[in-house]
Amino acid sequence: MRRLNAPVLVIGCLLGAVVALGPILWALSTSLKPTSRIFAVPPELIPSEPVPDHYYRLIAEGVHWAFLNSGGYAMAAVALSLIFGVIAGYGLSRYPVPGRQLILVLFVGAMAVPGFAVLLPTQIMFVELGLYNSWAALPILYAGHVLPFAVWVTRAHFNAIPRELEQAAQIDGYSRAEAVWKVVLPGARPALLAAATFGFLHSWNDYVTATTMIDSPDKRTLTVALIFFQGFHGRDWGALMAGVIVATIPPVVMFLLFRKYLIGGFSDGSVKG
Amino acid sequence: MTASGQQMTVDPAQSLRSAARRTRAVGTALVGPALVFVLAINVMPAFYGFYLSLRRVFFFGDEGFVGLQNYTALLSDPLAWEAIGRSLVFSFGALAVAVPLALLSAMGIRRLGRWGMVLLTVVLVPWAMSPIVVALLWKWILVPSPGGLMGSLFSALGYPPRDLLTDPVLAMPTLIAIAVWRNFAFATIILAGGLGQIPNDLYRAASVDGLHAWESFRRITLPLLMPSLLIVVSMLTISYFNEVQVIIGLTAGGPIRSTTTLAYQLYHTGFVELDQGRGNAIAIVMFLINMLLIAIYIRILGRQPGGAT
Repeated sequence: MRRLNAPVLVIGCLLGAVVALGPILWALSTSLKPTSRIFAVPPELIPSEPVPDHYYRLIAEGVHWAFLNSGGYAMAAVALSLIFGVIAGYGLSRYPVPGRQLILVLFVGAMAVPGFAVLLPTQIMFVELGLYNSWAALPILYAGHVLPFAVWVTRAHFNAIPRELEQAAQIDGYSRAEAVWKVVLPGARPALLAAATFGFLHSWNDYVTATTMIDSPDKRTLTVALIFFQGFHGRDWGALMAGVIVATIPPVVMFLLFRKYLIGGFSDGSVKG
Repeated sequence: MTASGQQMTVDPAQSLRSAARRTRAVGTALVGPALVFVLAINVMPAFYGFYLSLRRVFFFGDEGFVGLQNYTALLSDPLAWEAIGRSLVFSFGALAVAVPLALLSAMGIRRLGRWGMVLLTVVLVPWAMSPIVVALLWKWILVPSPGGLMGSLFSALGYPPRDLLTDPVLAMPTLIAIAVWRNFAFATIILAGGLGQIPNDLYRAASVDGLHAWESFRRITLPLLMPSLLIVVSMLTISYFNEVQVIIGLTAGGPIRSTTTLAYQLYHTGFVELDQGRGNAIAIVMFLINMLLIAIYIRILGRQPGGAT
């Protein structure tokens, strides 16, 4: 049976890889072609004379500022959700908490509620609170979206770390907080990395929250800036594909670096796709 | 002095109880901030949205209480029902493609061993991308020109290039295909994990008993994989039901509303037309459908050994 299936399997895998990566490589190829070659018939799969012009054009349009904004928002959101998430995950793992079962169900439920379903009232709420179009709006919202997952994975890992390790550290003269910092957190590294990676991907990749919460051009995220760029220069496919590549590199690199933890985190708990 | 004197007279059970109260207080203090954060961002807006859905709100201006008017107007609008129908077509259409695809790839990945992880990583790359960037990318691929990727495929097959995104019949299947391309591999992770739990001995016993590959798939793999399959189905249903960014980026609900799902209708009514009272009524309807889906999801997860709670 194995031998019979082997060629089918190999062909299936190659097909899967081509379908998954082909479109992205085509965008990369387009982004490196001079404008005159982009619509060449038949299409050039590999640019015969690659040029970086379209990437320079993005910089000339100031898109790199949006790139920095996206990075800043994502890192702030990751920091916020990790701080709150680790503390709560530790509390749920080590202390009796009244209503604990209900709290756990709430976190699982919140993990599954897509932010978009409550985005409209959130927008009006943020307008009234004066948070609309502020630098804090997106980090707060992204952190809120990621926090349930951060609590969930860190709790699962804290549960797996024996209490005796902390107690031993405390006997050695560490305070409880020091014991957590020196013993528990390093042990929960996979959970921290899973939560951080997921948080980064969620924040960096968002469009709909950013476009409804931010109005000023200087506070835009990269995704919003690219859609505005498309609105003004809809046919400039070279520059648009350069934007696609630039927007894709950070999350894909993060994903490739930490995929082991991310995939592990998803197999432990479960989260929205 | 008085404190220690009191402690002398207190029986041990009571001092244990007060110690327990103290640790409970510490636990609450640790969990509280995250709980408040999550309630404020994920739960409170739902209640506020319900309040707003009972009022007439246009362009951030509240024009007063109107009772259930937004709901009755919404539910008597045939366009809203069409949008719900399209949400079902989109969600179940995508599910019908994504789940078998994820199952097949999960089985392939398990059989490949070490190379399986490489393949899983490769097919997960689109999932790591931003949905709106995916939309931009596919818009370029689908450009109806002989110089575009799809256009040149059409000409290679002898057809003139056609614009799939402005075709009222083909736009929806195209969106479904792209939505599946973007995230089916996420389901593969969970299914591959589920397959790993099935003991190999069962298959060996089955082949000793002379079961065919298909029979052992139907009688061993499918029933034992059912918990993972249910998780995958409920997660993907929630994800597809709420998919909006790919639609915003590719078709904006068109052509002639043929891709206006309930999620897109919410975006359009609430954020484009700024009819926020009615938009919130749609948001509440969507929220309730989501809660129903999530309740099913939590039940499935809870039934799993070592699952949710």
